[in-house]
Amino acid sequence: MVGDPKTLVALIVLFSLYANLGASMYGVIARKNLVKKLICLTMLGDTVNVFAILVGYRLSRGGTPVPPVFTEWSKASEKLLANFVSRSVDPLPQALVLTAIVINLAVTIFLATLILYTHRHFGTVEMDRVSEMKKGELVDEVEVS
Amino acid sequence: MDAATLCLAMIGFASLLSVFATIMAVLDRDLLRAALFSALQSTLYAFLFYVLMAPDIVLVYVAVAVGIYPLLIVLLIKKVGRFEEVGR
Amino acid sequence: MRNVVVALAVVFTVLLLAYATYLGALGPIPPNDLRELAKALLERSYRPWNPFNTSMCPEAVTAVVWDFRGLDTVFETVVFYGAIVATLALYRTTSRSLGLVGERLSLIVRYATLVSVPMILIVAAATALHGQLTPGGGFQGGAIAAVAPVVALVVFGRRKLLDLGVTYVKALIVRNLALVAIALTALGPLIAGIVLGIDAYVLQNQGKVGAPLSYPPWILDVPSGGSVILFNIFEALAVAAGFTLVFLTLALDEETARRELVGEDRGW
Repeated sequence: MVGDPKTLVALIVLFSLYANLGASMYGVIARKNLVKKLICLTMLGDTVNVFAILVGYRLSRGGTPVPPVFTEWSKASEKLLANFVSRSVDPLPQALVLTAIVINLAVTIFLATLILYTHRHFGTVEMDRVSEMKKGELVDEVEVS
Repeated sequence: MDAATLCLAMIGFASLLSVFATIMAVLDRDLLRAALFSALQSTLYAFLFYVLMAPDIVLVYVAVAVGIYPLLIVLLIKKVGRFEEVGR
Repeated sequence: MRNVVVALAVVFTVLLLAYATYLGALGPIPPNDLRELAKALLERSYRPWNPFNTSMCPEAVTAVVWDFRGLDTVFETVVFYGAIVATLALYRTTSRSLGLVGERLSLIVRYATLVSVPMILIVAAATALHGQLTPGGGFQGGAIAAVAPVVALVVFGRRKLLDLGVTYVKALIVRNLALVAIALTALGPLIAGIVLGIDAYVLQNQGKVGAPLSYPPWILDVPSGGSVILFNIFEALAVAAGFTLVFLTLALDEETARRELVGEDRGW
């Protein structure tokens, strides 16, 4: 089973994607720096996107698969369309990933702004120090009231 | 070695290199270098998108993940400081 | 110690996911044949001999984005602008302030940028306008176009960009007009249907049986995808303007931005 080069490469890609998934999940949870968390979060999202595209890929019996773009529209016929459908990859995951990437970027920009505000307010982006300071602030407020 | 085998070898190499880039990005305490490693991972993913027959994704992904996103992180690092604190 | 526990938990989770994949939770990877849904989408994306059951858009991905799952994409656009508006709202009144100050980059860099910025914009326009025929579309064109102001921002500085006429207010106007145009394109058939007294749907592209209104499926002799080309153009404008807005505000220097925060904890 592993002797087939296509299967072997598919296994390597799957292994790498899972390794990336694990590494970036570890980064999001365990690292204390908010910027590092943000970097890891985007890497996590990208890995999941590649996974979605991989699930939408297909092996084609008649040669290599083609992108889901019907290039022969000028002389379109039922036969050409059937041939296209028999070779094209799945367009649905691509459409979903397409919007996901742009929205991910917008959300990332929003998170970056929040990190910037954390830095302006506390003077640091390390989670430990921020939580210590928040404890201090809480004590202050209790004492004042 | 014919073209198809070469292509398969490149896919395998790119995905293994992306593991290296991810791990370096997670472990590096220099945030600027981490951002660059993350951009390297994005470049390799763009290649993977291309061989997985998703040209639409490549068009948007190259602009976003290799252009705009590292710039955002660099802007952020410029304002909040470049180095992560050593864990306590 | 804590990191080790987290690492072990992550490894366990990933192994669990990998085992699920091995058992075939996602089917064979990569699959040997298309799913039925994918076949249906591909067959219906461009089928000029059956005009009541197609989107007339040879690019299947764009057809899915703006026709088959159009409502989905409209609400994703809402999420996208929600995030951008939230970013802008955090920087309340900073549109009037000055920009980054620093040394200018070298002459070579500046002239190379001057040459490449129009080229980036041309590529973006081609990507967006050809979205229904070749790989590309609104999101792609917008993301590519957003690179141009961002590069110019880094190379020439914020001040120069404002002098050139790329201002906060103008970007805001372009973005809002594009969003209104997207909404009008989506509602157009419905309004026309009410006026003419026939059935029509929101986000209708080509005519359906019983609802014959449709956007023009051809431009000269090239398939236009009906409403798809309009959505592509407006979405490209909106995405590019939105990112320009965000980066114009993010490139503010720290002191100006901090001035807005003075007295925040006591109320404004």
